[in-house]
Amino acid sequence: MNQADVSKLVSKLRIKVRPNHRNLKNPKGPEGRLDKLRKTVTGLVKYERIELNVNRADEARQYAERLISEAIRHGDCHKPTMDVANYWLLEKELIHKLFKVLVPRFENSKLSYTRLINAPRAQNTRNSEKVVLELRDNPYPDLMSKQSQDKYLIQNVLLDAAKLDYRRAKYAEVAQKMGKASNGKLNDEVKEARNSKESMSIKETKDPIENKTSGI
Amino acid sequence: MKLNITRLTKNITQNYYIKAPVLSRCLSTQEAIERRHHLFTLEKKRQMESVGRIEKIEVRYKGVPKDCTLVMNKDISTPFDCARHFTEWHMNTSALALLDGTVYWDMHRPLTESCTLEFQTFSVHDPLHVNLAFWRTCSLVLGACASVAFKDTVPVVLHSFPHPNVRSGSFTYDIDLPSLHDWKPTEQELITLSAEYVKIIRQNLPLERLEVGEALAKEMFIDNPHKSKQIPDIARNHGSVTVYRMGTHVDISKGPLIGNTSQIGRVAIPAVHKIDNVTDEDVTHLYRFQGVALPTGVRLNHFAFSVLIDRAKKFNKSQRIRFKTSTDVSKSEEERVKMNA
Repeated sequence: MNQADVSKLVSKLRIKVRPNHRNLKNPKGPEGRLDKLRKTVTGLVKYERIELNVNRADEARQYAERLISEAIRHGDCHKPTMDVANYWLLEKELIHKLFKVLVPRFENSKLSYTRLINAPRAQNTRNSEKVVLELRDNPYPDLMSKQSQDKYLIQNVLLDAAKLDYRRAKYAEVAQKMGKASNGKLNDEVKEARNSKESMSIKETKDPIENKTSGI
Repeated sequence: MKLNITRLTKNITQNYYIKAPVLSRCLSTQEAIERRHHLFTLEKKRQMESVGRIEKIEVRYKGVPKDCTLVMNKDISTPFDCARHFTEWHMNTSALALLDGTVYWDMHRPLTESCTLEFQTFSVHDPLHVNLAFWRTCSLVLGACASVAFKDTVPVVLHSFPHPNVRSGSFTYDIDLPSLHDWKPTEQELITLSAEYVKIIRQNLPLERLEVGEALAKEMFIDNPHKSKQIPDIARNHGSVTVYRMGTHVDISKGPLIGNTSQIGRVAIPAVHKIDNVTDEDVTHLYRFQGVALPTGVRLNHFAFSVLIDRAKKFNKSQRIRFKTSTDVSKSEEERVKMNA
């Protein structure tokens, strides 16, 4: 019972965290890895939306989430948090942005602070997979717009009307065919009576629709 | 040259007995376009100058990136000017402005009083009015396209375009071609028309709005017997005549229209049909030009678009009523507007 609640000591992240970290292979070793990630986290806070390779993005995302949640938990008067922010943000004016812009933005959020979205990849290429890493509620247009399903969009209105038109044409065609088929039978009988003496073979091969047109 | 024409017009219009036909014979299509453009410029300048002392209005903007208040100039600043305070994205994608949540306003029409402002793109939640404005603009551009596409020897007299109906599958423009008796466009000619259309929209022309009096409207369209016939009706119903300018092309439209021709994306002019049952005796050979277009940024499968093109080839007969007498036309249009509202 005396055990401390872990989630009060360490921020609980709202994203999936891998059990082991990625090495992000580079000549400088672990130090180079951290340099890379610091650059990425700085870029993310600065631009709010960046495109990256998937490994680096996912790794940097975890540090960015942790940084923002620490900032929200402790505020800007907490020395260790300030040191962490100072370490991760290479451009020092971004520390102000972190505490004055991002903390108010995410204070009451129930979701993760960042989003990772798969970017399109050219067909038949062997390039590594690209992703887009962004802060939520950024000012840019939404990447995941599902609005193309909206039936009032002009392309959907046009396609819908075309569909209706096509269906009507088909129904009319079918109805006409049915009418013709019955008419054709009548025509057949009339012709049969008329042409019975002349030839039996031609009549059998004739289509009811053809009969109708020739009859009229 | 322009001066000469205006002087000539004045002389002719002052003389009661000799009227439009004389001048219309003097003006080629190109000259008439230039003259209209010139008159539009003068009138716009005059209206700008008549604003007088500049007053400020408060425009409360709602939308991304955040709600804010802009202080703009009364009767001078347009919603487009407001968009310029935000981002290029706002300038390029906004098709219409929504004032006070109810009034749809052109992007290039000066604001007259303090209001709230929202920008309407083609992907807003309920884009009915944006779609109508888009369809109307496509019709207007089709008129401009047809008036430049033909050779100088073929006179082109624009008649009118009906109330936009997106569900009909095509936007239309009825154009009188007096010298072509039974013209059936070949495939190549239709492709040329579409190409001319694309040339126009690639120029990224803004659509400017101006409300002019009946006299000036008549003066503008003095070479066009059909339009000058329609103008008195329009002026009676609406008090003034609303004209739009796109590049040098000036045309009558009730509006609102979208902000810029660059917002028209994929387009095709698949058919031109001759209309025979016209009750108007002035019209000699009326042709209905039909096209289909999508806004910029809409990605549609080529097969789906070919379905739309095939549909647009069929004669768009939903507005047959248009070919009754002019008073009937305005009445029926009003009814249609009421139904839509």
